[in-house]
Amino acid sequence: MAVDQQGLLARLIKELVRLPGIGHKSAQRLAFHLMKAEREDALRLADAIRAVKDGLAFCRQCRNIAEADLCEFCLDPKRDQTKIFVVEEPSTLYAVERAGAYRGLYHVLLGALSPLDGIGPGDIKAEELVERVKLGGVEEIILATNPTIEGEATAIYLTRLLKPFGVRVSRIAYGIPVGMDIEYADEVTLLKSIEGRRDL
Amino acid sequence: MPLVKTTAIILRSRKWGDADRIVTVYSKSLGKIRGVARGARRQKSRFGAAIEPFSVCRLNLFEKTGDSLFRISQVDLVRSSQVLREDLRLMASAARMVNVVTAITPDGDPDPRLFDSLEQGLASLQESEDPTFTALLFQIRLLGLTGFRPQTDHCAACGKTHFVGEPQFSPIAGGLVCLTCAARQRVRCVAFSRGSLLFLQQAIRLAPTVLTRLRATGQVRNEVEEAIEGYVTVVAGKRLPPVDFLSLASPG
Repeated sequence: MAVDQQGLLARLIKELVRLPGIGHKSAQRLAFHLMKAEREDALRLADAIRAVKDGLAFCRQCRNIAEADLCEFCLDPKRDQTKIFVVEEPSTLYAVERAGAYRGLYHVLLGALSPLDGIGPGDIKAEELVERVKLGGVEEIILATNPTIEGEATAIYLTRLLKPFGVRVSRIAYGIPVGMDIEYADEVTLLKSIEGRRDL
Repeated sequence: MPLVKTTAIILRSRKWGDADRIVTVYSKSLGKIRGVARGARRQKSRFGAAIEPFSVCRLNLFEKTGDSLFRISQVDLVRSSQVLREDLRLMASAARMVNVVTAITPDGDPDPRLFDSLEQGLASLQESEDPTFTALLFQIRLLGLTGFRPQTDHCAACGKTHFVGEPQFSPIAGGLVCLTCAARQRVRCVAFSRGSLLFLQQAIRLAPTVLTRLRATGQVRNEVEEAIEGYVTVVAGKRLPPVDFLSLASPG
C-alpha cells in the first residue's frame, strides 16, 4: 500500500500538508516521526491541538487570542485605555509586548487588505476597530501594519476610516534597523528614514 | 548552477517559511519566473524594498537544475514602487496590470515588448489622474502582446467582415461578433457602439508611449470596460481581483 494514496498514515500526511509551509515531503517525514514516536508523545501533540481549539478564542474586543471572553491585555485596568495599537496578526502583538515599550490596548485585524489578491475590508476586522472608537475614550490609534503593499493599503484605508472621528491616527516609524550599516540600507528605507528624522 | 543577471518587474511577493519570500517577476531575459529570496523578512535582509510588488530591479539569480524556483542572490532597486504604494487607487490599478501579466503569460517565455509595456504602464500610473482608465488602456495593450488582441475588423465567430447593425463584443469569441453570432454565444455579449469600436482599435494600435493620450467617457468607457473585464476573465480563466478596489475599500 502506497503511503501517499490511502490508509491511516496517508490521512495524517494529508492533514499535515494543509499546514502553512509544509509540503508533501515534510508532511511525510513528520508523519513517520509521529508514527515512530512513543504513543504518549504523539498524543500529547494531539491533546495540545485539541486544548487550543477548545480553550482559545479571539478576544471579543481586540481579536487577540484569548482564553476567556476578553484577552489579558483588554482585562488589564493598568493599561492606557486611550491608545490602540493596530497590528495585522497576534504574533506581531507579542513581538511588541516583548519590546516592553508600549502599555496601551491593541487591536488585531486578523489580516490585511490586498489589491493583488482581492482581499477587501470585509475580510479584516476593521469595522470592529471603528466600533471601538465610536464608543469613545480613544485618543490615538497607532497603525503598525507591515511595510508591505498589503500593510500600506490597510494603513491608508484605516486612516481614511478613522480620521472623521477626530482621533489622532499615527503610523509607526520606518527606518534603519539598529546595528545595521547605513550603506547597506535600500533606497526606500533610507528615504523613509530621512523623511521621518527627528530633532535631538 | 549558472548565474543569471536580468532586469525584472516584481509581480508578487509572498511569505514563505519562517523568513523567506517567494517572488514572482517578469524579467526581460527570462520572462515570468519565480524565485526564492532567503531571509527576505528578516530585520537585516539585503533585499529590503526591492522585492516589493511593482518595483523594477536588477536581479542576480541562480538556476538550480531540476527546480522551477530560482535562488535570488542579489537585488538592486532600479525604480521603487513607493508612489504607487501611497495611494489606494494607484495601488489597485497597478495590481490589475500585474495580475493580468501573472495570469495570462506562460512561465519562462520572455518578450521584451511586454516588459517595456508593463514598465511603461506602471510609470504612467504615477502621473495619471485617472488610474483605472490608464490600467484599462494597458490591459488592452498587454492582451495584444500576449496573443489575445481583441478582434475588431471582422466577426470573431464567423469571420464576416461586414456587420449589419451594431456589433456586440463577445468575451468568449474574443472580439466583435455579428448579431447572428451574438445570439448563439453562451455568455452574454456586450453592446458595442461605433465609438467604442474606434476607441478599441486606437488602443490596440497606439504605442505605449502615446497610449495615455487616449480618452473615453460615458457610454464608450462603460462599454469598453465591461468588454475588456469579461475578456480578461475568459483569457485568465478566472475572475481577477476587481480593479475598483477603491469602492470595495469604502466604508460600509
